[in-house]
Amino acid sequence: MSHANERLFDHALAREAKLKKSRAEKDKRMTLQDAVAEFVQDGDSIIETGFAYVRGPMAAFWEIGRQKKKDLVGIFTPGGMNTAWHEFGGMEGCHVAYVGVEMRGLISPFRRGVEAGTLKVYSDWSHGGLALSLLAAEKGLDYVACRSMLGTDIMNTNPYIKLAEDPFTGDPVCLVPAIYPDVAIIHVHHADRYGNGRIWGPAVNDTSICVAAHKVIVTCERIVDTLDIRANPYQVIVPHYTVDAVCEVPYGAYPGDMPGMYYFDRRLQERVVRVEWKTAESTREWYEKYILGTRDHFEMIQLIAEDEGMNVIEYLKRLEQLACDAAYCGIGSWGIGGERDWKYEEVAKRAI
Amino acid sequence: MNDVQVSEIQYTPRELLACVAARLIKDGESVFVGTGLPLVGALLAHKLYAPNMMAIYECGAVDPEPRVLPWSVSGSWTYHKAPVILSMTSVFGHSRAGYADVGFLGGAQIDMYGNINATVIGDYEHPRVRLTGSGGANDIASLCQRVIFMGLHLPERFPERCDYVTTPGYLDGPGARERTGLPGGGPWRVISHLGVMGFDEATCRMKLISCHPGVTPEVIQQFTGFELLVSDDVVETPKPTVEELRVLREEVDPCQLFVF
Repeated sequence: MSHANERLFDHALAREAKLKKSRAEKDKRMTLQDAVAEFVQDGDSIIETGFAYVRGPMAAFWEIGRQKKKDLVGIFTPGGMNTAWHEFGGMEGCHVAYVGVEMRGLISPFRRGVEAGTLKVYSDWSHGGLALSLLAAEKGLDYVACRSMLGTDIMNTNPYIKLAEDPFTGDPVCLVPAIYPDVAIIHVHHADRYGNGRIWGPAVNDTSICVAAHKVIVTCERIVDTLDIRANPYQVIVPHYTVDAVCEVPYGAYPGDMPGMYYFDRRLQERVVRVEWKTAESTREWYEKYILGTRDHFEMIQLIAEDEGMNVIEYLKRLEQLACDAAYCGIGSWGIGGERDWKYEEVAKRAI
Repeated sequence: MNDVQVSEIQYTPRELLACVAARLIKDGESVFVGTGLPLVGALLAHKLYAPNMMAIYECGAVDPEPRVLPWSVSGSWTYHKAPVILSMTSVFGHSRAGYADVGFLGGAQIDMYGNINATVIGDYEHPRVRLTGSGGANDIASLCQRVIFMGLHLPERFPERCDYVTTPGYLDGPGARERTGLPGGGPWRVISHLGVMGFDEATCRMKLISCHPGVTPEVIQQFTGFELLVSDDVVETPKPTVEELRVLREEVDPCQLFVF
C-alpha cells in the first residue's frame, strides 16, 4: 500500500478511481457507522470541508475517532477540532493551510504534536493556494499558475509547489498541482438518496473537493426527495455521481455552525480547545468521555446537554435565527423567520 | 463623527488599536478582512466611518451588513445579509483582478520589511512553537493593493527577520516584490498598541509615523527588535473619541469578546 502522499497528486490514479464509480441513480443511503467503516481506510488522506467549524462534518469526524481509524493524513484548509486526532493515534501527518480557532488562538493537541514531532507537517500552503489546487482537480487542469505564496518560505518548504516563468509574460509564477485526496466527507443541509447535496451559505471549496476526492461521503441534516432537488438545483454543490454514501445525520455539524439552522456552540468549543485539551492527559480524558464513551453523535450531544444543563440544540437554533433572519428566509422546511420578538442585543451578549 | 477626545475615560490598548485601524478605512473601499483584531477594526470602520465599505471574507462572503463581532471570518453572523456568497477561489481571484483595495491582517511576527510570520517560532523542521499557518493571510498580502497589519508591539514580535516568512511584505527591500511577481502594492500601515508605522519609500523599511498617547519614539524603539526609522514629523495618535468607544463597546463588541 502506497503512502497517502504518493496518491495525492496522481492524476491517473484519481481518474481510475472515478472511472470505476457508477453513474446510475442508485440509493446510497446508509448509516454513518457503515459509511465510515467502508469508505475511510487506515492510511487515507482526508480533507476538511466547509470552513473549519462552519458546516464541518463533525459527526463523521467523531465517528472516525470511535472506529479508531489509524495513520490518516489530514488536509487542513482550514483545520478544526479533528486536528486532535493524532493524539489518539488516528493521524500521522498533515498538509496545512491553517489550523486554529482564529481569535481564540491555537489548538493545543495540534501544536503539541508538531512540536514533539509526533504529527508530521508534510507541507504548508496558503488557503488560496490549496483552494486553487482543488480547483485544478475539479476543472481538469494539471496545475494552476498563481501569484500567491511567491517570495515566502512557503515556496521554500512546500515540496509540491514550484516556481516557474510565465511563458506569456516572463513573470515569475507559482505552480500549484491538482490535488486528489483519498476521502472527503461533506456535510450539507439537504441531500437526496443519490447524493445530490444542497447547502445555504458559502460553498468554500466543497464542489471542487467532491470532484477531486477518490471517495465522497455526504452527511446531511435531512434526506429530501429527489424531485425537491430537481425542482431547485441552484444551491446544489455536491453532484450525485461523485458521491459514495449518503447519511442522514441531523445536527451533524455540531458543535460547529450550520448556516440557517443552528449556530456554533462557542462556549463548548472554547472550553474544549482552551481548557479541556490543554494537556495530553486532559485531552485523553475528554476523548474517552465524549467520543469513546458514547455510541453515536446523538448520545454525545445528549451528554453535552446534560453537562451544560440545557438543551444546547434549541439554544443554538435560536441564535442562528437571530443571525440569519432575512438571509435564509426560504430554507427548506425549517422556515426561518416567524417570531421576531427576540431582543437581539440581549441574546447577542450572551451568545457570541 | 464626534471629534470630542476623551482623556478622562479609560480605554484599553486594544480599543485604541481598533479605533486607529477603523480610521484608516476610507468610505467606499473594499477591505479583505483577516481574523482577529482586523475583524474588530473593520466592523468599527463600517459602523462609524465607512458605511459604504465592502468587506470581503475568505470563505466567499462579500459585503455583509455587520452586526456584532462574530467569532470567525466565516459563520452565519459574519455574512449577515451578504448579497454575494461565493467560494474561496472566487474571492482571492477577485482580489488578484483588482477588486480588493485594502487587506487587513494580524500575525505573530512582523519584520522591518513588513514580512509576516504565522507559521512557526524557531526552526521550521523542529519548531519551538507551531502556529496556525497562513490561512488566507498570504493570499491577502500578495493580492490586495494595500496591507494593514495589526498586532501587539513586543521585541520578539517585531524581529529583524521573521523565523519564517508566511506572508510577503517588501521581502528583502526595494524592488523585491516586483521581481518576485507579487501583484499587490505591499504593506502600508502597521498598527501596534504603541504607535502607527508606515514604510519608507526609498528603503521599504518600517518607519514610525505616530506615537500613541504617553508613548515616545524611544519607548517604541525599545520594544522593536530592529532599528525603526522615524518620520521627521512624528505626531501623537488621536485618542479614541467618546463616539468611537461607545460604538466599539455597545455595538461592535458588546460582550467584550476581544477588546479587553
